[in-house]
Amino acid sequence: MRLKIVRIITVFLFIVLALDLIYIQAFQGRKYFGLSVNNRIRVIPLEGQRGRIFDRNGEVLVENRLSFNVTVIPQDVRNQEALFSFLSQVLNVDQKRLVARFQQKRHTPFAPVAVVEDIDQRTAMILEENKFRFPGLYIQENFRRWYPQGEVGAHVLGYVGKIDSAKVEKLKDYGYSQQSIVGYSGIEEYYDQYLKGVEGGVQIEVNSRGQQVRLLGIREPERGEDLQLTIDSRIQKAAYDALAGSHGVIVVMDLDSGEILGLVSSPGFDPNIFSDEKRGREKGALILDSAAPLLNRAIKGQYPPGSVFKTVMAVAGLSTGKITTKTSFHCPGFYQLGRRRFRCTHVHYDQNIVQGLGHSCNVFFYNTGVLLGPDNIHRYAQMFGFGEKTQIDLPAEEVGQVPSRALRKKNNSDWYKGDTLNFSIGQGDILVTPIQVVRLMATLARSGQVPQPHLLKTIGDQPFVKLSAVKALKVDAAVFDIVHKGMRMAIADEHGTARLLDMKGFEIYGKTGTAQTVPTKDTHAWFAGYNLSGSKRVAFCVFLEYGGSSYYAVRVAQTFLKTLREQNIL
Amino acid sequence: MIWVFTLLIMGAGLIALYSASYHNVRVSNEVFYDQQMFAVVGILIIYLLSRVDYRFFFDAAYIFYGLNVILLVLVLVAGRHALGATRWFTFAGISFQPSEPAKLALILVLARYFAGRRPSVSLNDKDFHGGLWQDLMVPLLITGVPMLLIFKQPDLGTSLLFFGICFIMLFTSGLEYKYLLGLSACCLTALPFAWHILKDYQKDRLLVFLNPNIDPMGAGYTIIQSKIAIGSGRFFGKGWLGGTQNQLNFLPERHTDFIFSVIGEEWGLLGTLAVVSFYFVLIYCGLKIAEQVKDKFGMQLAIGIVGILTLQATINIGMVLGLCPVVGLTLPLMSYGRSSFMIFVIMIGLLLSLSKRRTIF
Repeated sequence: MRLKIVRIITVFLFIVLALDLIYIQAFQGRKYFGLSVNNRIRVIPLEGQRGRIFDRNGEVLVENRLSFNVTVIPQDVRNQEALFSFLSQVLNVDQKRLVARFQQKRHTPFAPVAVVEDIDQRTAMILEENKFRFPGLYIQENFRRWYPQGEVGAHVLGYVGKIDSAKVEKLKDYGYSQQSIVGYSGIEEYYDQYLKGVEGGVQIEVNSRGQQVRLLGIREPERGEDLQLTIDSRIQKAAYDALAGSHGVIVVMDLDSGEILGLVSSPGFDPNIFSDEKRGREKGALILDSAAPLLNRAIKGQYPPGSVFKTVMAVAGLSTGKITTKTSFHCPGFYQLGRRRFRCTHVHYDQNIVQGLGHSCNVFFYNTGVLLGPDNIHRYAQMFGFGEKTQIDLPAEEVGQVPSRALRKKNNSDWYKGDTLNFSIGQGDILVTPIQVVRLMATLARSGQVPQPHLLKTIGDQPFVKLSAVKALKVDAAVFDIVHKGMRMAIADEHGTARLLDMKGFEIYGKTGTAQTVPTKDTHAWFAGYNLSGSKRVAFCVFLEYGGSSYYAVRVAQTFLKTLREQNIL
Repeated sequence: MIWVFTLLIMGAGLIALYSASYHNVRVSNEVFYDQQMFAVVGILIIYLLSRVDYRFFFDAAYIFYGLNVILLVLVLVAGRHALGATRWFTFAGISFQPSEPAKLALILVLARYFAGRRPSVSLNDKDFHGGLWQDLMVPLLITGVPMLLIFKQPDLGTSLLFFGICFIMLFTSGLEYKYLLGLSACCLTALPFAWHILKDYQKDRLLVFLNPNIDPMGAGYTIIQSKIAIGSGRFFGKGWLGGTQNQLNFLPERHTDFIFSVIGEEWGLLGTLAVVSFYFVLIYCGLKIAEQVKDKFGMQLAIGIVGILTLQATINIGMVLGLCPVVGLTLPLMSYGRSSFMIFVIMIGLLLSLSKRRTIF
C-alpha cells in the first residue's frame, strides 16, 4: 500500500547516500587524503587594505605601511631546534624566548603562529631567502596603520585596534568578525564602514617542504575606500603648535561651507601607539593619564561659555525688542541683587549694546537678562543649537546643557533671579562644547545662516554633501549687524577685550570669555570669532581649559593667526 | 528506540559542533554552549510532549497555521536582514526564524485537512468521492501561501522542502494516481519557467552542482572543499579537532549547513555511516509508527514529520557530498540553529506521543 511505497523509497535514498559515502571515503579516500596531508593545502589570508585618509590638499593623513610577521606552522616544522636557532640568530632574540612564545601561542596544527611581529624589510628578505631550509617558516605580510603626522591629527583621525566583543555583537551582520580591525574614536570610527577592506585569501597546495606547488584558489581582498577630509594639515599643525601641549582646543571652520579646516584637542596622543605592537605599554599610560589625552575636548568637553554667551544674549535682547541700539545701562562695577553684589570686571559707566559686547560688560547683560527672563534666554540658546549635537562627523559628541526653569522644577528645585544673572553672562548651569561655539560664531557671521560642521570631503571619487536640518534663523538681519559691530569693537577698539588681534591683514570679529569654574581652580579662557579678510572666511575658537583669563586665549589666537599669515595660508 | 537515536544524533551533533566552532573566525564557542543548552531544554520538551495527547495539536492546527502565515508576512516586512535574506526576527535579544515553525504548521494543517476529507487510513472506503479541487488544489493552496512567502525571503531550499512535504502527504492521503502524475507532469513542464524566476546566485548554484569545476573559486569551491574534507577522513577520520579542512577556516558554514563534512573529516567512514544509520533508524521507527497509528490525522502527522526529517537529512547530506545542489537546508538536530532545533525537538516529541496512542479516538 502507499505507506509501503514510502518506506521503500526512503530505504532507497539512504542506501544511495551510504554508497556515495563509501565511494568517497573508502575508494577515493586516498586521493582526498593526499590532497589534504601529503600535498598539503594551506590558506594564507590576504588582508584587504584599509582606506587611506587625505587632507583637503592631498596630503597623507593616514596610510597603511607594509609590515612583516615571522610565522611558523607547527605541523610543517621538521627540525624545530634548527629553525629557532636560525631565527634567534637573524632576529637577535633569545632562542628560549622565541620557543616559549611559539609554544604559548600555538593553537591547532595548521594555524600559523606569529613568533615575531613587524620586522623590517631587509630582515624579512633574509628570512624569505632561507625559507627552503626550514620547513614551517612563513613570512606573512600585513598592513599596519600609519599616521605620519603623529599627535597632530590624533583627535580628528582616531586610531584602530582589534574589535571588542560589544561591537562584534552589534556589527556581525555587516561583515565584521572576531578578528576584525576597527576604528576607534575620530574619523576611523565614524566612517569605519567605508574604510574597512574585505579580507581575501589564497589557498595553495604545498609539498612536504612547505613550498608552493599549486594555486588552488584565490579570493581577492577588497580595498577600503580612501577618504579625503576637509582638514588642511598646515592649519592643523599651526593650531597644534599654538596650543603647545596646554589643555585646550582650537577649531577652525570655513564660514560658508561648514568645512572644518582644523580641529585640535590638546593634550593629544600618538595614534601610532595602537598600531605598533612594540609600543603596547604606552596604551595603558594614556588611559591612566589624568590629563585625559584621549578625550576629544572639542566635541566632548562641556564647559561654561562665560562671556562668549553674551553674543546670544545680544541677539535675544535686540530680537525680542527688550533692548535697542539706544538702550543704555549704567555700570558701576557691580549689580546689586538683594544683599548680594554681582560683579563686573571694570567700572564701565554708561554702555550701549555695542559697547557692552566690545568691553564685555557684565552689568549690561545682567540688566538685559532681567528684561528677557530665563525662558527667553533659554529659547535663544536653543535656537543657536546649544544643548544639541552639531552632528559633526565624529563619534560620541556631547550636547552640553542649557538650563531652564522647567529643568529646575524637574529636579525639585527653584529658579532664582540670581540664576538668571548667571545665565546672562554664560555662567551657572550652562555648558557648551567648543564646536558648538564655533557654529555659533559662523551663524552670527552669516547673519543667521547655520552651517553644518563636517570633516569629510570625498569618499573615493564621490564628493560628500551633508545636509542639515536647520537652515536659517528667523532673526532680522539688522539685529546681526548690530552684534557684528560689537564683535568688531572687541578687536578694533582701544578698550576692546581682544585688541591684541587687531593685526594687519586680518579683519577679525569676536568675543572673549573668562568662565569661572570652581573656587579652587583657574578660570577657562575663551576666544571665539571669525575672520572676513583673506582667501578664506573662517570661524574659529580658541579654548584653554583652566587657562586663566581670556587674555591667554587671545594670545594663543594671535600666535596661531600670525603663523597662518606667515605661511600664507589665510 | 526513538529516544536512543535522537540522543545519539544530538550527541554527535554537539561533538561536531564543538570542533566546528573551535578555531573559527566567524563564530565562537558560544554556538556550542548555546546548542548544548538547547539540547538539554530539548530533551525536556521531548519528554513533556511525549506525554501530551497529540489531539491537542489537531485542535490548534488552523490557528497555528494562521499565526504562522502572519509571522511570515511580518518577517518580510519587519525582519532582520542578514546574508542577503530576511529570515529572522530579533525579539528582546533572541532571534528566531518563522520559516521553521512554518514546517510544523504546514504538516499539522495538511494532516487535519486530509483527516477531515478522508478519515479512513486504509483507503478502502467505497463511499469516498474524490474531487480535483478538494483533494489536490486546496492542499496545494495551503502549501502555496507559506511556500511563496518563504521563497520571497529568499529561501529557495525551504520553500522547495515545503513542496516536497506537500507531495508526500498528498501521496499518502490517497490522492488518485492520475492526479499525482498530472501534478508531476505540471512541475516538470514548469521547470524552464521556474529557471527564470531564480536569482543569479541560485542559478549559479544549480550550474555548479552539475559541474563544480566551472567555478572552483566561487560557488564550486564549497563543494570541492566539502568533498575533500569528507574524503580525506577515509575510514577512521583524523580525530576530533584534527580536521585540517575544518580548522582552515575556508569551509564556510561548517557549523550550520556543512556540519556533516566535519563529521566526515574527523570521524571517517565509521562516523558518517554511523550518523546516516542513526537518522535511518529514527526515520524507520517513524514510518513504523505511521503504519500503526489508526487515525488518519495521526498517520498523516507521522508521515509529515518523517517526511521533513528524511528530506532535510538526505538533501543536506547529499548537498555536502555533491549529490545535490547547495540549497541551504540544515541537518536536523545537528546543525547549529535554535529555531530549527526547537522545531525538530517538538516533532520528535509528537512522534513519541503518537507512538503511545495507537487506537482510534
